[in-house]
This record gives sequence, structure tokens and C-alpha cells, in this order.
Amino acid sequence: MALDKDIYRAFEDVVGPDNISDDPAILDSYSYRWGPQTETFGQRFAAITLPKDTAEVQAIVRLCNKYGIQFKASSTGWGSMSNPGGPEVIKMDLRRMDRIIEINEKNMYAVVEPYVISVQLQAELMKRGLNCNIIGAGGNCSAHPYAAHYGGGHMGESTSLRERNILAVEWVTPEGEIVKLGSLGSLGEWFCGDGPGPSLRGITVGHAAPCGGIGVFTKAATKIYHWAGPPIFPIEGVSPQYAPSEIPPNFFYRYYSFPSAKEMVEAQRRIGESEIAFEVMGFNIAMLASNMGTSNDEDYAYFEQFRKLIQGPGFQVILMGNSPQDFEYKKQVLEQIIRETKGESLKPVEDPKIAGALIWRSIRITASIRECFRAGGAFSAALGGTHPYGEEVAYMEAVSKLKKDLIKKGILRDDDGYYLTWPHEHGHLGHAEILIQFRQTPESIDAIMGFSEAAMKMAIDNRYGVPHSLSGMAPDMHDMFGPHASNYNVWQRRLKQAFDPNEVSDSSGYIKGKQQQGVS
Amino acid sequence: MALEDYRKDMELCAKCSICKFIPLEKMKGVQPANVCPSISKYNFNAYSGGGRVNIGMAMLDNRLEYTDKLLHIIYNCQMCGACDVSCKYAMDMEVLEPIYEFRIKAVEEGHTNPALDKVINSLRKQGTMVPGAKAKRGEWAKGLGLKDFTRQKTKVVYHVGCLTSYDKDMWKTARATVNLLNKAGVDFGIGGENESCCGGRAYQMGYETDFIRQAQNNMALFKQCGVETIVTACADCYHAFKVLYDKFGLKGNLEVLHITEYLDRLIKEGRLKPRKKVAMKVTYHDPCHLGRLGEPYIHWEGKEIPGFQRRFDPPKELMRGTYGIYEPPRDVLRSIPGLKLVEMDRIKEYAWCCGAGGGVNESNPEFSLWTADERIAEAESTGAEALVTACPWCEKNFNQAIKECGSSLKVYDVVELLEKAI
Repeated sequence: MALDKDIYRAFEDVVGPDNISDDPAILDSYSYRWGPQTETFGQRFAAITLPKDTAEVQAIVRLCNKYGIQFKASSTGWGSMSNPGGPEVIKMDLRRMDRIIEINEKNMYAVVEPYVISVQLQAELMKRGLNCNIIGAGGNCSAHPYAAHYGGGHMGESTSLRERNILAVEWVTPEGEIVKLGSLGSLGEWFCGDGPGPSLRGITVGHAAPCGGIGVFTKAATKIYHWAGPPIFPIEGVSPQYAPSEIPPNFFYRYYSFPSAKEMVEAQRRIGESEIAFEVMGFNIAMLASNMGTSNDEDYAYFEQFRKLIQGPGFQVILMGNSPQDFEYKKQVLEQIIRETKGESLKPVEDPKIAGALIWRSIRITASIRECFRAGGAFSAALGGTHPYGEEVAYMEAVSKLKKDLIKKGILRDDDGYYLTWPHEHGHLGHAEILIQFRQTPESIDAIMGFSEAAMKMAIDNRYGVPHSLSGMAPDMHDMFGPHASNYNVWQRRLKQAFDPNEVSDSSGYIKGKQQQGVS
Repeated sequence: MALEDYRKDMELCAKCSICKFIPLEKMKGVQPANVCPSISKYNFNAYSGGGRVNIGMAMLDNRLEYTDKLLHIIYNCQMCGACDVSCKYAMDMEVLEPIYEFRIKAVEEGHTNPALDKVINSLRKQGTMVPGAKAKRGEWAKGLGLKDFTRQKTKVVYHVGCLTSYDKDMWKTARATVNLLNKAGVDFGIGGENESCCGGRAYQMGYETDFIRQAQNNMALFKQCGVETIVTACADCYHAFKVLYDKFGLKGNLEVLHITEYLDRLIKEGRLKPRKKVAMKVTYHDPCHLGRLGEPYIHWEGKEIPGFQRRFDPPKELMRGTYGIYEPPRDVLRSIPGLKLVEMDRIKEYAWCCGAGGGVNESNPEFSLWTADERIAEAESTGAEALVTACPWCEKNFNQAIKECGSSLKVYDVVELLEKAI
């Protein structure tokens, strides 16, 4: 719905005429949607704005309160949580807020604005012997720790996940106040999210990031980690034929498959316990094939090759040694664990050229788009939460049966029904997901919706915990899960009502201030 | 082909934003990370490769009318193809092709840009993409005693191109080229007054019919005169002859070489021997139409295989920029004694555009120079004293930008530096 001219002018006065538009062509480039959708284009925003700094964000938020208009802020805007929840929502595309504010090597944190993408930050950090967590969606996503609905990624073993890496934060609340959380609020420094100073990390993050539902997080500090690799990885070749000239010293790559999930989980648990791995990523072989293949044809050929060579579910491991001795120790421990858990190495990927490419692709996380979208553009998933690792895998084993049923019916791509898993922080917590690829037809979309609902119900009925699928997608589903999880929905709603009394921060990816009728 | 023919490609866009950045595996720091001048300048998603295919879909679905803003989006793209390369790292879909078709559709439906109309009128009336040119096309060669291939059969034709012919500042490159070919003992001719525009830039501007007419006329002349090999120092001409003529089934067996490919060959065959020292630290700018867009056109005919992965029978190989012309110009530079080549951050398939392509130079000079400024700053950061390129349009745009921003950077064509060494 078009904004009243005077209101449009008020926003224009904030950002300048070049940084606001309500032209349909501009709007439709934001309303295009991927995924299981019956319509290619969703709701249009009323206008798109491009604020350049916190002051402009604050001014926009205050105008939204004044005129009763909702706003939705986003960074790269990939996920459906960046879509508007209604007709009178203006977009804050935070593209112009793209600075790395600080890299503090001594205290090991980095402060970023929302439009710094992860590979930019990682590249700067690696020059300094440091690294950061990158979410599984890929290095093309924002490095800002509030930017994704779930912040786990391939390097979770050694770089944790976004939700746990958040330090101090600058927050423009839904009422337009600028609040500085953690050490930023008392000392003006970014090193800690929980004090000295006000700690609202639990409130602002909750189960996962609020996906635009409670204001705009304009700057945030994130923890950074040790990197023993080279400042610039020695990648050669021309796109998409990239591979390193050599595997840098003290790096090691293997993909192992196991007779069953039981042995796989045991191997991952023991790898975590021994703290030897830089990365443990439970790619299924379809995802591995996508990482390697530079086209659908290559992807297909690799998958057909690998499915004949594996025993069952598996994962890839990257070791990174701090010294030759450390590296040798880690390798020996890994070999022993794999031997004792009956793992088998997938031989074709032992080739140093392939292994080298996979190491870099899995550290930079560049192939998630291939894994999800290249096959046919349509992709969906069922996600677990962040729970004890065995529980996550049990949930995915159960959901996998639903997936296999759809594969039998010819609705999904046949990838043998596997899921993917990864642990966090060398510990017993982890995450699991199951990806599905399909062709967009009314029949397949119905089937995918049914699959998602059944997976959610399964999580409730079998007490698998609150899946990350909830965040950023379906606000009313919190009311479905809440009663089974300490009534968290009641508390989340109270926070929403307290911080956003005018409900201007579009909650289509969070929880609405008013409970929807018929949902308990 | 038409925009509608790319619907299935456009439907694959996942809005991942990868088209806005250099390939992620190659990112070396916070800057320079961007690869698309248009989104970098105008920031709204519609100006990115992905945004353009999204609104291409909207156009097909009759959701859009031609507004001033839509036309601004359509014409403010250099058609540099960087988005296409970045996307195809991960995806099997066309990006640049539907962007071309969207612009062609706008032109065919009468929604043209006045500045570009002026250029095309010049093409139609005078056969040149340089409106208001005072020189004659063959004037640069006056007194050189060169063969006219339309009168004397020569195996090799040196096609000079519109800008080099009509802009006196560019004549030095043409004369240097002639000098080098003569020293190598190449039997070559030129078209002189009979040379005509390749049509490539008309295609970039969306005037497909004008391009095809130019291509047909040129190929008729080449066939009539028994031309086997065309050598050009203009990246746009090179792309037109090699890629676009082939795309439209007009190229036949014509061998198309960029002068840097030809000189590299002549050096490696020992027919040119760079011996004089050229003590200079330079950096090389890959022209888009020689680099990522300069790979051979791939013809394909077949059908999609039913299933969940978009695959084709026979397999359909996409042009991803992998086989562009990257090494020959560098090898020529490396052959020059005393010359030190240093690289910028964005090179080869993910090089930043000079800003002059796609009609932007003519329709929006401010944006064109802004794009050049970005590249000049990147070149300066290498510590090079000169920016070397292999296309007159790049050279002209860089020189104009340098004049306005006051940089001390010099701009050369590869040919000029090699001539100094011979």
C-alpha cells in the first residue's frame, strides 16, 4: 500500500531522495520469493529505505511510531523473515551500514554493522591469525550475530554458534531508543554482552535471533577465534574451478561413513570430547556432491558414485594443527576413534586436490547455495534445535522416515533420505537438519507443507525440543510449542508488548503482541 | 531468444546476494568485496543481477509498467557480466542473458534512452558509435601505406573499431599495432573507409536489430573478401565478432583474435622479440568483454531431463567466465624486460568494470566515471605507476576519470608498452 505523500516526504527527509523509493520495480525486487510458494511474488513493502547509520535508523523508527507504520530491517535479506508481514510495512535495507567497526585481537572480538558479510570479516581476521563463526547458510550472509534465525555453521565445533558469540550490542528499540547492552552500556567497550552494564542478551536473543521483531540491532560485537592457517588460502584457478595449489601444512580432510547413526554419533561425541577437530560437519553425500560439483551434471555424477561407496550416514572432518606435533597427535586420535567406531573413509575425496578444495569451501562456506538451490531452485528443510546431540539425531532419524515416504511417492529428489548434523563447541550439544529438494507444483507444495507440519508435530509429541524452524517464519507457532516448553511464548509475548507497545516492529518472524485466535 | 525464454532461469534466483560480490572463495578482505557497479552505486536490490532477474519475472507477470525508475534501472547497468560469473559459481542459471533481453524488450517497446538513441542514429547514418566524430574512419592510417583488404586479399584483417578510428587520442594505439604487425612480418590489411562498426555496443545498449544488421553486413564483406582471421584491439569488437556473431549463427569459420592473443602468439613464435627495457611498475585491468565475457560461445540444442535436478540432454555447458582471455595480455606484459606486473585485488573473471560499457558511458557519464574512479583507486593501491588495459573504451574512460580526480596514474594499452620494448 502506497504511503501518504506527506509521510513519504518525512522518511525522505531522513534518508534523502536517493535512498527511498516506492516505485513498483524497486518494491518487486524485494517481494520476489523463493521456496515452496504458490505465488512468486509476495506482499510488497510500502517503501524501501536505505539508512546509512544508527541515527537514520532511529529517526525512521520514530517516524514509524508517529505514523503507526510497521518496519522490517534486514541485512542481505535472503530468508523469508525479511519479507513484510502486511501491507503497511516499510523496509530498512541496511546495505549502506557495511563497516567493520573494530577488530580487537587482544580481547578477541570484532564489531560489525549489519551489512558486513561473513567472508569479509573472516578474510580480515585470517590476516591476523583469527577466525569467526559463519552460519551454515553461507559466507554471503551477514557477519552480524543477530542477522540469522539460527546461527550455527560448519565450524561450530571450534567457533560455536552466533547466539553464544554475541557480546556487546547497540540496539534501536521499537520505540526508537538507542540502548547499549553489556560493557558498551557502562564502559563504552564491546568486550562483553553480560556486563558490567545492562544485560539483555537473553531477552533480545531468546531461543534464536528475533528476525526483525523487536527493533534494529545496528552494531554488535562477536567473539572471534584462533586460526592456525595461512593469512590467504592458496586458491588458484578461475571460477568455478577453484582449488588450492597445495593443502597448507597441518590441515587434514576426510569424509567418513558409518554402519548406522549410532556409530556416527559415537564417533562425533568422541571427537568432541577429545577436542581435536577444527570442523565436524555432517554433510550427507548429496551435499558433499554439491560442494564438489561445479554443475548439476557433476553433482549428479558424484552423488551416484558416492552412494555406492558409503556404509550409511556420515560426516566430514577438518583437522587444523597448531604445530606438526599437535597435528600428528590429532590425526592419531582421529584415526583411533574412526577405527573403533567402524567408520570408513570415502576414498575419492582423499585426493589432495579435492580435499584441499573441500577444506576451503567448508571453512569459507561457499557452497550452501549449491546444496540447496542449484538442483531446481526449490528447497525446504526441517530443522532441529540446539540440543544434546543424540536427541537431535534421533529427531532427524524420525523425520527422515517422512522424507523417505515423499521420495517414494516421487515428490522429492532422491538423496537416500539422509539428514545433516553438526556438533557445537567440542561438546554434547549439536544441531541437525534435513534438506529437501523438489519441483514447484501445487501437489509438491502441499506435500512440503504437510511434511513441515508433521515434523513439527513429531517434535512436540516426542519431546525433541523447540526446532529452529520456528524462528523467523511462523509467529503463531510459538503458541503451539510454548505450552510444551515452560510457556516461553507467554514470556516472549510480554517482552514484545513491553518493548514494542505500538507493534511497529514487524513481527512476522518473531511473536506478535496479540495472540492469534484459536491458537493455544 | 526473448525475456520469456529465460523464465525458468529467473525462477531459480534464490535472492542469496552472491551476485553482488566477488566469488567468495577469492575474497581477501573487507574491501574490495563488491563486483557489480550498479548495485554498488544505487544500492536498491533492483540494481543487482538478482534484482534485475526478479523484476524481469515481475515484467513477464504484468506486474510492472515502464516508469522513470524502471528505465533508470534498465539502462544503468554496464552489462559487464560480473553478476553472471559470481552467480554461476553456485548456480546453473543464466543471469546476464535475461538482463540483455529485458533491455532489448524495452527498446523494442519504444522505451529507449535519448542519449542512446543519439548514438544509434549515428550508427544508422554514419556507421559509427561515436556521434559527432569529425575525423574519417580511415584517417588514422593516412600515410602508412597499409593494404585495403577490400581491394587486396589478405589473410589477416586488423579491425580498428569505432572509438580508435574516430578519437584522435586513440590513433596512437592503432599505429602502434600496425608497427608491431609490420615488425612481425604479418601480411594484414585494414578496412579503412570501408570498415564498419561491429555492432557489439548497439547490442549492449539493447538495439538488437541494429546489431544484427551490422553483423550481417560485416560478415557479407568478410566472406566476399575471403577474410579468414580478424584481429582487433577493442574488447567490445572482439566480443561481438567472436561471441555475439556466433550466438546469432553469423560467425561461420572466421577466426577472431584479440591483438593481445595475436601478439602473445607472435612473441612465443619468436617473430616479435621485446628487448628494450621498459622500467615501469604496472597493473593490468581485464576488460569485461575480453576477460569473463570473451570465452567462446557455446551452442546447445536439446531438452530438459525430467527430474528434480535441472539437467539437460545432451548436457548443457554454461558460459561461466572460466575460459575468458586472461593470460595472453599478462604474458605479453611479462615478456617486456624491466616491466613489473602487479595485480589488483579484483582480477580476471571477477575484475571490476571500467564503467564504459552497456551504454552507460553515453547515458550516465557520472555513473560511468564513478565506476572508473573505483578502479583507479584500486590500481593506485597496488603502488603501480600505470594502469594497463586492452580496450580503447576502458582507456578512454580511465583517462577521463583520472583527469577529473587528479590522479597521477598513467593509462596505457598493452600494445603501446610492447611497442616501447620492440
